[in-house]
Amino acid sequence: MSFDLPRTRESVQGDAIEPGRAYGFFTDTTLCIGCKACEVACKEWNQLPAEQEAMSGMSYDNTRELSATTWRHVAFVEQMDGAAGNADPRWLMMSDVCKHCDPAPCLEACPTGAIFRTEFDSVVVQQDVCNGCGYCVPACPFGVVDVDEVDGKAHKCTLCYDRLKGGREPACAQVCPTDSIQFGPLDELIDRAHERTRALHDRGETDAYLYGVPDSPGATGGIEKLNAFFLLCDRPEIYNLPAAPTLPSRRIAPAFGASLAAFAGLAIAAAALLGGGRR
Amino acid sequence: MTRQDRHTLRDWRGETYYGQQALKYPHWDWKVSGYIAVAGTAGAAQALATLGSLRDPEGLRAARRGARLMALAGSTAGAAMLIADLKTPQRFHNMLRILRPTSPMSFGTYIFGAFGGASLFSAFAEGPAVGRRHLLRWLGKAAQLVSGFSGAGVATYTAALVSATSNPYWAAAPRSLGGQFAGVAVAMGAAALALWERLGGRDATARRFEKVAAIATLAHVGASTAVNKRLKECGVSQPIEHSKPQRRLKASSLIIAGAAPLVGYALSAALGGRAGRNAAMAGSCAALAGGMLMRHGLLEAGKAAREQPESGFALAQPMKGDDDGH
Ligand code: SF4
Ligand code: SF4
Repeated sequence: MSFDLPRTRESVQGDAIEPGRAYGFFTDTTLCIGCKACEVACKEWNQLPAEQEAMSGMSYDNTRELSATTWRHVAFVEQMDGAAGNADPRWLMMSDVCKHCDPAPCLEACPTGAIFRTEFDSVVVQQDVCNGCGYCVPACPFGVVDVDEVDGKAHKCTLCYDRLKGGREPACAQVCPTDSIQFGPLDELIDRAHERTRALHDRGETDAYLYGVPDSPGATGGIEKLNAFFLLCDRPEIYNLPAAPTLPSRRIAPAFGASLAAFAGLAIAAAALLGGGRR
Repeated sequence: MTRQDRHTLRDWRGETYYGQQALKYPHWDWKVSGYIAVAGTAGAAQALATLGSLRDPEGLRAARRGARLMALAGSTAGAAMLIADLKTPQRFHNMLRILRPTSPMSFGTYIFGAFGGASLFSAFAEGPAVGRRHLLRWLGKAAQLVSGFSGAGVATYTAALVSATSNPYWAAAPRSLGGQFAGVAVAMGAAALALWERLGGRDATARRFEKVAAIATLAHVGASTAVNKRLKECGVSQPIEHSKPQRRLKASSLIIAGAAPLVGYALSAALGGRAGRNAAMAGSCAALAGGMLMRHGLLEAGKAAREQPESGFALAQPMKGDDDGH
C-alpha cells in the first residue's frame, strides 16, 4: 500500500523539503492570538490523547505545560499593568514547543542512542529503542521531554518527522491562522526573524527580541542555537523559559574530575593508615 | 548579536509563569539513590582493600576477602536496582548499543559493567576450590586490581550523573558535589570493612579502617558545606529550605552521616575495651545509614525543586550556570 499524499509544501509554496538541510520553527509570539489550533492539530496528527483534567484557574491556559502527550502548549500571560513603564494592560501569548536544540542536551544524555538528529537537523526519540531510563528528562533545560507512565518511553515533538519525509510542513505550522508559527529552512527563518525584529523596533515595539538564535538569550552555555526559536516581548521567565540555559554535559569533567581527585586524596591517606605503621 | 540591534533584557525580578514548573524532574526513586549508595560502598571497599593488601597483604587478608564479597553483592544488587528502575526494563541491554562520552549514564554503565565483571572473578578466587592453584590465585589478584580501579570509578562517576543535568539543585556545584560523592563513598566503604573486621574479631585492623572512615567523613562534611554555600550564592537553596521535610532530611543526614560516626570513633578511642568496640561499631553503622540518607536526600531535594521554578531560573541567569571554580 502506498501513502503518497501530495507533497503540499512544494505544490503550494514552491519549496521542497529536502533531507540534508536544517529546518526549524520561528514562533513569532507577537502574532499569536491564543487560539490553540496548534495544540489541537498536533494532537490530531500525532494521535496523542487529551489530558486536561480541570481548569487551571490561573488564566486561559488550561494545558499548563508540555508533556509526553502534549507537544505544543500555548502559554498565556496577562499583564494588567502592562510592560514596564507602560500602563496599558497586555496579553502575551506563546506557543511553546521542543526547541530541537543544537547541540541537544537530551540527545547528549541518552545512553541508548534512542534520541538522534535527523536529516532535517531535528531531534527525535526512536520509540523502538528507548528503554525509559528517564535520563533525558532532567537533562532538558526547557522541561520538554518526559517519560510516559503508560508505555514507559520518552516522548516529545518530532518536528513532524513523518510529515517532513512526505514533503509536508509540520501540522502546527500548517494550521496556525496568523503564521505565528513559521516552518522553514533555518537560515531563511533566522534572516526573516531578524528583519521582523527590526521592523517591530521601528514601529516602537522596542521590547521585541529573539530567543534561541545564535548569540541571543536561550542560545547560551554551549547551546549554539535552538532550531525552534522565538520572538519574545518580555523576560524569558515570563514565558516559562530560562534566560541562560547551559549544556549539562559541560559539568561532567568538573564533577567527575573533582570526585576522582578527592577519591585519590583519600586513597593516599588510606594507604598510609592501612599499612598499620609498617614500612 | 550581529544582525539584530543589541537588546538588553531588563533585570529578572523573580517572576515565574504562574509558579508552574519550568523543568521536568526524573522519575527516579529510592532504587537509584540506593544504587548510588550500594555500588559506591562496594566500589570504595574494593579500592581500599586493594590498596591495603598492597601495603599489608598478611594483616588485611580477611579484609580483602570481605571486600571481594561486598563487591560481588554490591554489583549484583546495584545492577538489579538499576534495571528495575527503567520504565521499560526488558530493554535494559539497549544501554550497550552505544558508548556516549557526553552521557554519564552511558559511560557509567561500562564502568559499572567492568566493576561487576572483575568483582565476580575476584570473589570466585576466594572460593574454596581455588586453594593453591596458582593461575587462579593470580587471576584473582588481577581481577582485584581491575575491580579496585573500576570501583573508584563507580564511587565517583555518579557525581557527574547528577551534576550533568539541568536540575538546579544537582547542577549548581559540580566540583564540590564531586568531593562529597567521593567522601561519602570512601566513608561508607571503610565503615563496611571496619564492621566486617570487628565482627570477625580483628580489632586492630578494624581500627585502621575506622581511621579512614573518620577522615573521609571529615572530607564529605567539608564538601557538603561548600555545596551548600554555592547553592546559596546561586539562589538555588532558599526555595528548598522552605520545605520542612527537606530541611529535616538534610539535618538528619548531617547528624547521622557526619557527627555520629566521628563521635562513635572518638568514644571508641577514649573508652577502649568492650565499650569502645561497641561505640566504634555504632559509629560505622551510622556512617552507612547516614550515607544512604544523604544519597536519598539529594535525590529528593532535586525532585522538590520542581515546586520552585525560581531556583532553576536563578541558576540559569547569565554567568551563574557557567560554573567556575566550585
Ligand atoms: S528542548 Fe529539550 S527535549 Fe527538545 S531538543 Fe532541547 S533538550 Fe531535547
Ligand atoms: S528515557 Fe529513552 S530517550 Fe530518554 S535518555 Fe532514556 S533511553 Fe534515551
